Amino acid sequence: MKIFKQLTYLLVATFLFVSCSSDDDAIDSPPLPLGDYEAGFFVANEGPFGTGTGTITFVANDFSSVSQSIYNTVNSSDIGNVVNSMGFYAESAYIVANNSHLVQVVNRYTFESEATITDGLDNPRNFVAVGDKGYITNWGDAFVETDDYIAVVDLLTNTVTETIALPLGPEKVIAVGTNLYVAHQGAYGQNNLISVIDTTTDTVSTTITVGDVPNSMVLIGSDLWVLCGGAPSYATVETAGSLVKVSTATNTVSATMTFEVTEHPSLLTSEGSDLYYTLNGEVYTMDVAAATLPTTSIISGFFYGMTAHNGKLYATDAGDYASDGTLKVYDLATQVEEQSITVGIIPGGIYFNN
Amino acid sequence: MNRQYCLISLFLLCCGFFGNAQTDTIQRLDTVVLNDSKLVHFSEGFKLQTLSDSILDNHTSLTDVLRFSTPIYFKENGYGMVSSPSFRGTNASQTAVIWNGIPINSALNGQTDFNTIAPQASDAITVRSGGGSVPYGSGAIGGSIHLNNEMVFKEFSETDLKLLYGSFGTVEGNFKTKMASKTMFADVHVNFISSENDYEYLETDQKNENGEFNRFNAGTDIGFKRKNHLFTWNTNYFLGKRNFSNTITAISRSRYEDVTTRNLFSWKVFGKKYESTLKVAHLYEQYWYFANRETNNYDGGRAHTLLSDYAFDYKLQKDIKLSFNANYTRIEGKGTNIGTNTRNTLTFFLMLHHQVTDAFSYGASVRQSFLNDFDNPFLFSADASYKVADWYTVKANGSKNYRVPTFNDLYWNAGGNDALQPESSLQGELSNVFHFGKLQLEATAYYIHSNELIQWRPNASGVWMPENVSEVENYGGEFSATYKTSFQKHDFEIQANYAYTKAFNVEKQKQQLYVPFHKATGLFTYTYNRFQFEYQSYYNGKAFTTTDNKGSVKAHSVSNIRTSYTLGPKTNLIMLGVNANNIFNTYYENVAYRPMPNRNIQTFINIKF
Repeated sequence: MKIFKQLTYLLVATFLFVSCSSDDDAIDSPPLPLGDYEAGFFVANEGPFGTGTGTITFVANDFSSVSQSIYNTVNSSDIGNVVNSMGFYAESAYIVANNSHLVQVVNRYTFESEATITDGLDNPRNFVAVGDKGYITNWGDAFVETDDYIAVVDLLTNTVTETIALPLGPEKVIAVGTNLYVAHQGAYGQNNLISVIDTTTDTVSTTITVGDVPNSMVLIGSDLWVLCGGAPSYATVETAGSLVKVSTATNTVSATMTFEVTEHPSLLTSEGSDLYYTLNGEVYTMDVAAATLPTTSIISGFFYGMTAHNGKLYATDAGDYASDGTLKVYDLATQVEEQSITVGIIPGGIYFNN
Repeated sequence: MNRQYCLISLFLLCCGFFGNAQTDTIQRLDTVVLNDSKLVHFSEGFKLQTLSDSILDNHTSLTDVLRFSTPIYFKENGYGMVSSPSFRGTNASQTAVIWNGIPINSALNGQTDFNTIAPQASDAITVRSGGGSVPYGSGAIGGSIHLNNEMVFKEFSETDLKLLYGSFGTVEGNFKTKMASKTMFADVHVNFISSENDYEYLETDQKNENGEFNRFNAGTDIGFKRKNHLFTWNTNYFLGKRNFSNTITAISRSRYEDVTTRNLFSWKVFGKKYESTLKVAHLYEQYWYFANRETNNYDGGRAHTLLSDYAFDYKLQKDIKLSFNANYTRIEGKGTNIGTNTRNTLTFFLMLHHQVTDAFSYGASVRQSFLNDFDNPFLFSADASYKVADWYTVKANGSKNYRVPTFNDLYWNAGGNDALQPESSLQGELSNVFHFGKLQLEATAYYIHSNELIQWRPNASGVWMPENVSEVENYGGEFSATYKTSFQKHDFEIQANYAYTKAFNVEKQKQQLYVPFHKATGLFTYTYNRFQFEYQSYYNGKAFTTTDNKGSVKAHSVSNIRTSYTLGPKTNLIMLGVNANNIFNTYYENVAYRPMPNRNIQTFINIKF
């Protein structure tokens, strides 16, 4: 069975290779392909909590091929439990397995394993690289609110060199120049902060208060748009979601738009000057110049991950969370669903490899 | 392997080489009293399998006892960890556990963790297949497991002491003493087990980390007979302390402690034509879950169940028995995530048994509950038994059963849904029992249709909540055989079970999670004088782990050997023995990514006086 699976992957890979090289034949000196997983994007599938492994699905940019569980295929081993996110640095990809408390380092084109980072990680969440250093947000013990931190990784040796203590629940992280913006979504609780870290000194330079539960961020120009879900209905006090604009020049909040108290948006993504997010099973869009939040949706669907890219919206549907999910691709101009691709269990983030 | 096993089973069944552990009825001697009288008098058309105390003594957990001798599949989260049954393909809260006639599934999650029941605390365990909600209430859908303590009113006393030591730092001790006269009975039993449980994961360089557990169980059963009155008191105390073990990919730091206490008082009055029974029981359960064993932060919950039950059994004619029952149950639950809530239920049920001829009998019963916030379905059950010939009996039953939402389902923060309704199921079964001398065969077919099944899934704002959404059909066939023979001083006994189980989700048209299509068990015992050799084995077919039936745990079979020799005079027997478990050193999982123990050895000494 395994051999059969591997043969299938080999076939797919061969096909990919063939299609790549036939495209490249038009150009006079074809560059050597960097690997089977060069011309496409990855879907990080969390996998079942506790009893199983997360997986990575690779999809060719033109959707001509789909490869499931590519880490397992290449390395004959599991990534780890609950694949929360992925990041890139040079020729490497960093796959964060939250519940195994590790990060798998692979070649981003071949997916061959390069290293496993375990020491210094405790409930790792998200990865970003600045220079030769990697930064990984960590919850620490998920049930202790005071041990959260960022692990600083020397990317040349793939070892954690130091940690920066942070308030509760650091989650998404974006690099702006030499600064990091860390959204404190709040782990199993709630928080309302953005920590700004100066990577030249690896210290927290300032803290910005935003809305409750900042769950996603995008950078447009010098503005950091932070989508805050608000405290959920089961929190002690339910609060409204909000969309907060932070100037990275001054590190201050320059605008806030508030949702209804029972509205908890998430999954902010952008393309050009358009923002996209989801709310109650609907996708909304607004221009960054808009004065008010949109009231009509453009696409319907319950999504677990969402990324706008080259005129298309890539959105994952986790289905019943106990079987393979689906990646859907919509044309943002027409809002028509163009692709529906089976991926792994609980698909979340979508990461483009080029 | 799968096919091979089936073929062997079939071959042995065809050759009539097997026998069966089932007994149609429990013999009810006047001197032996069981509190679970519905099991004795009103289950004639049902399939019952009673496990003798020798089987109970051979295992350290109820999970192992049932896994090796019944078609029930167990999802065990690593050895000794939380263990839940799938009986005829139903889910964990659709098997009712009945202790001396009282339902004891947790009020909080609707289930019994089969690793929190010490098999040695019971004198007999009976597996009643099929719907039992009329006499036993919520959850008796796949079937019910009856833990019974027998009181024997005759002059005797006996004491059993067993000590076991084995691999993975496992130590077990058992003490049971009974003394009785014609009017008084008392027993005391104490059981503990502790294990490092750090077995290696075969085929890897990992081992079972954070899997230490220990369990303590103690109880006493006391009865007095005065003229036509019988007073009994059954009590049991359980304390479990476990770390919850790693999986292959996820480390664990968690710890879990739980306590249950059970007390049951009963007063029976025997008349010429009637029997009146008043029962009052109190059940208590509490748990503490430490996500990090190093800290003192925990989530917890507890529930008090106060139950009073009156039964009036009346002999209308010589052949017709009626049983009128009224039951009032109050549950008070409290917990980190469920607040403080109570549930009151008032229930009436009526049962009829008519022995039309020596060969033919039937039964019928109805049940209605009141007071609950959710709908209280009207339940019914009918059964019949017909002895066609000396060697052939046919039995049939049909029933409507239910499972009420648990406190977690209703009140969990976040997600609890107080608009939930009970799950309901309609089912039927036909059973054929054959006796050919020393050979007994049983072939059963059943069908269960369940709907309004409670399933947790994310709602519009992404919060997981339970809803009455799924519909499942289960059907299957069960075959069992027992054969006993002896020549000169050589005794042989063979028991075997095979079950085919189909349980599919009607919407998805896929097999339910963790329900293997095939399961088989086999037991061979050879006794020569005071020497005994036992070979026991089971086979679990492939079981799916994802709802699209793409992921699965592999089919596997596990075999154990047990040998013992008994020394000493009859009044003072000393048994010495060795268990070799998983003798073929098979790698297996019954929950994905949770490897089970490799080959291991235990030695034991058992003293009777």
